[in-house]
Amino acid sequence: MSRLGRAIVRVPRRISKGQVFKVQMVITHPMETGLRKDKKTGKVIPAHYITKVEFLFNGQKVTTLHTGPGVSKNPYFAIMMKATESGTLTIKYEDNKGGKWEKSVKINVS
Amino acid sequence: MITRRDLFKVAGVGAVALAVAPGAVKPSFGAPKKISIEDSLKEHLGVGLSALKESNLIHIKAPTIAESGANVPVQVKANIPVDQVQALYIFADANFNPWVTTVEFSPMNGEVFFATRIKLAKTSPVRAVIKMKDGSLLAAAKEVKVTVGGCG
Repeated sequence: MSRLGRAIVRVPRRISKGQVFKVQMVITHPMETGLRKDKKTGKVIPAHYITKVEFLFNGQKVTTLHTGPGVSKNPYFAIMMKATESGTLTIKYEDNKGGKWEKSVKINVS
Repeated sequence: MITRRDLFKVAGVGAVALAVAPGAVKPSFGAPKKISIEDSLKEHLGVGLSALKESNLIHIKAPTIAESGANVPVQVKANIPVDQVQALYIFADANFNPWVTTVEFSPMNGEVFFATRIKLAKTSPVRAVIKMKDGSLLAAAKEVKVTVGGCG
């Protein structure tokens, strides 16, 4: 999976001051539980899942997610956020195999 | 002299031995054990199922019948000011590991809202537990019927 760990983040294009808006994201990730068996070889596929997702706005913590293998493949998360100023929303996420990624989006408050 | 009965006995012992053998080998591979919802709640919240208070402030939006257990959209919303909430937990009772996710909120969220897609092994309640800053726990549950499991 060459696309492993890529994320798409969606925020509204225009946000007025004080508005509560939705942040949606999808990460490309297999989210293996470690319980499934490979049908051809009969071997257990090792667990591989996202463990932590952090939402930071201008360096300040907004939301932290701790996730287990119970979240679906290519996980989708949505949270609400209230912005009082323009800035950058940075999303940091990591998996149980040591993979670490980061994605930033600009948030324009008018 | 070997009677018919003795022969059955021997065959029976052999069959038992065969049946036991794979079972004895399995734990050495570190085969995981199913965690009950009770244990999972204790691990993450420190209390059992009976200590959770049902609350009508929490709304879970999930399908009544899910076609595939691999992908069940769940949305949790609560009419509680976000600065009183510490974290939100989502559990799926029948899953191998019932704990799905923990969401830690901050006042910057504006409102208590979280949406994701989860796996469900079979028909079971989906639980949302909100841990308040004062330590109290509020819970809500919704039964989701699953036609094809998604944890295999």
